[in-house]
Amino acid sequence: MLFNSIDFAVFLPIVFILYWFVANKHLRLQNLLVVVSSYIFYGWWDWRFLSLILFSTIIDYVVGLGLSKEDNKAKRKILLCISIFVNLGFLGFFKYYNFFLDNFVTAFSFFGSEIRPNSLNVILPVGISFYTFQTLSYTIDIYRRKLVPTRDFIAFSAFVSFFPQLVAGPIERATHLLPQFYRKRSFDYNKAVDGLRQILWGLFKKIVIADSCAVYANQIFNNSSDYSGSVLVLGVLFFTFQIYGDFSGYSDIAIGTSRLFGFDLMQNFAFPYFSRDIAEFWRRWHISLSTWFRDYLYIPLGGSRGGVLMKIKNTFIIFIVSGFWHGANWTFIIWGALNAVYFLPLLLLNKNRNNLGNIAHGKRFPDIKELASMFFTFGAVVIAWVFFRADSVTHAVNYLATIFSSSLFTFPRFAGGGGAWITIFLTACLILVEWHGRERQYALAHWCIKRHRAIRWSFYIILIFLIGMLSSTTETPFIYFQF
Amino acid sequence: MKRFIKTIMIFAFFTVIVYPVLLAFWGDYAPYYLTKTINYKIGSYGHLYSRLQNIKEVKDVDILFVGSSHAYRGFDTRIFQEHGLSSFNLGSSAQTPLQTIVLLKRYLNKLNPKMVVYEVNAEGFSSDGVESSMDIIANDRNDFGSIKMAFQQRHLMVYNTLIYGFYRDIFNKNKDFKENIVKGGDTYIRGGHVEKALQYNDRFEYTVTNGQKWDFNGKVFKRQLAALEDAFVLLEKQGVKIVLVQAPITQMFYRCYSNNHEFDNKMKNVGTYYNFNDLISLDDKRHYYDWHHLNTVGVRIFNEKLIDLISE
Repeated sequence: MLFNSIDFAVFLPIVFILYWFVANKHLRLQNLLVVVSSYIFYGWWDWRFLSLILFSTIIDYVVGLGLSKEDNKAKRKILLCISIFVNLGFLGFFKYYNFFLDNFVTAFSFFGSEIRPNSLNVILPVGISFYTFQTLSYTIDIYRRKLVPTRDFIAFSAFVSFFPQLVAGPIERATHLLPQFYRKRSFDYNKAVDGLRQILWGLFKKIVIADSCAVYANQIFNNSSDYSGSVLVLGVLFFTFQIYGDFSGYSDIAIGTSRLFGFDLMQNFAFPYFSRDIAEFWRRWHISLSTWFRDYLYIPLGGSRGGVLMKIKNTFIIFIVSGFWHGANWTFIIWGALNAVYFLPLLLLNKNRNNLGNIAHGKRFPDIKELASMFFTFGAVVIAWVFFRADSVTHAVNYLATIFSSSLFTFPRFAGGGGAWITIFLTACLILVEWHGRERQYALAHWCIKRHRAIRWSFYIILIFLIGMLSSTTETPFIYFQF
Repeated sequence: MKRFIKTIMIFAFFTVIVYPVLLAFWGDYAPYYLTKTINYKIGSYGHLYSRLQNIKEVKDVDILFVGSSHAYRGFDTRIFQEHGLSSFNLGSSAQTPLQTIVLLKRYLNKLNPKMVVYEVNAEGFSSDGVESSMDIIANDRNDFGSIKMAFQQRHLMVYNTLIYGFYRDIFNKNKDFKENIVKGGDTYIRGGHVEKALQYNDRFEYTVTNGQKWDFNGKVFKRQLAALEDAFVLLEKQGVKIVLVQAPITQMFYRCYSNNHEFDNKMKNVGTYYNFNDLISLDDKRHYYDWHHLNTVGVRIFNEKLIDLISE
């Protein structure tokens, strides 16, 4: 089920009413309702893949209990390996089988031998990369003795399948989310209203900004050889705001929905395009994934404690794995590597933690230095997005070659019409609102809270109206569903 | 919680009032690229507006035709008249069973047919019917049936178009609208048929993918099949005979799908059914003007054969 669908608009109030009015007296019943509704939410797309979630849940629950009883180091390692093998095995098969197969075939043909492999028509289960990472964090934390395993199977199932964040995150840690299933939730008016506001803002970002930008980004990327460098710059800028609106919008809806049910999820985006360097960007973009890789990959590899070579190796590993996590294509790997190249100078010069606070903190506008570094960082991110969006490495290279040609200095002409200008205008509005709210959890948090209700409500109704008027004529899935 | 529910109800109340007002204003004055989700196209493709004006002058027919463009382009009421059969063609662009039931409920009593020829095709049963719903909303006066149809569609564009449609109906905004009888190569013929000036299907080059399959297990097909069965219940209650007809399309395209026989079986389970792709032999170039619409030569062969069958 998509957040931006009529089905979800009906599903959410039903679950909300059952949760607070029918199941509110019994914590286990509330958790059971979360599990059932999450399975309905996921099964709406394809019920057959529910078995994967259920299997992962059972394996990690059993492994968790096993780890708690076992003190023998070797046996504990074996148990952990079972969890990692099963979870990454599913991920590897569904996501990477054909990628590795194609590359083997290419490699063999390079050396002159022809092989005819059995490529499979594998359907990628929605959200598999998200929930496998979430369950892995559970077993790894128990293995590290940072977490006591749960004996409550329903609470654990609810943690694995919690519908607001099941298919596209934020990837929650068991240490943060699981305890919330043990505690009785009480309804909080302010939290629920703020949750609804965050859902509304997320829908605006997804439906009005991301889906509108997608039309022009697709048009330009799909016909990039027909356009001048200036149009291609516009194309990648449209994609830049498409992916931001899409993914941060999804996160806002997920976090807002969770708050309606009394849960707190971690912030996943913290206004990343206002970053002053690439390290800050990665502390603000898809925070739940970046911190996951930091805690479960980068630090175990040695982090930045070793010598220069180790720092370089670990940085490349983490960024390339992050790229590969996004998709089984060389374009994602290069995107990851490019970000590693951006990041390394800061790490080696020990400047990667220079910008820990907010830009223009306590001020209305940034100073010249901040503005320049923000634009420079934004430019670097935009260039990397070309690889992320392109169909192939050749496509990305040609795209960038056209951008950095003399045609960059021509007037951008493409068949976007008035719709493109409106999209640019709305994106500018988004940037202004996000800038104004950059020190909050999300741009509209506590927005105009002291203003008269009529002003706030008028603004919300205008947002709803714009969502109604400017939404795509077909239901558009979130980009990150494919990851 | 009480406070929350109360706030939500009051906010919803204001939204329900303000949204249609803004929408009406937007629909009237916003440029076309901002009104994609209000797809209100009165007098658009298919002459539905003229057909529904024409229907006011017609009653008590022998045969009523319903269905998609295959119906309004494929059943020529003049040919049936030549055989002494009065008829009306209530086909509309991309009409699917979900819209047919709405139109039948609106016009069945007035037209009082002895028989309904219900045009069916696998593509229509695989379609959500959004396009056709908006066509009907824009070209007919809206009622409770339109609301029911919109809720079955579960599509924002249909809701917006319906709200705008009600606004135009209430304020009689279409009173001065007149649709041209001749549009492009299409001429509206009294009785509901749309005739294409004689052309042959040799102007286009097509590429086809063979071995495709229709999905007869999906939610869309099941919803459409349920709507067809509802139509049967409605018509049988009134003692109206029903014949399901699959109009011919070019063999080149018909054969692209390897499971057409499954559709035939499903239709045969519902009632009397004729698939003209198997019943008559037509030439892909000489009897069609595009890949799925008959030209006037093809229409005559098709209609003569249908008259033979229903006379039996």
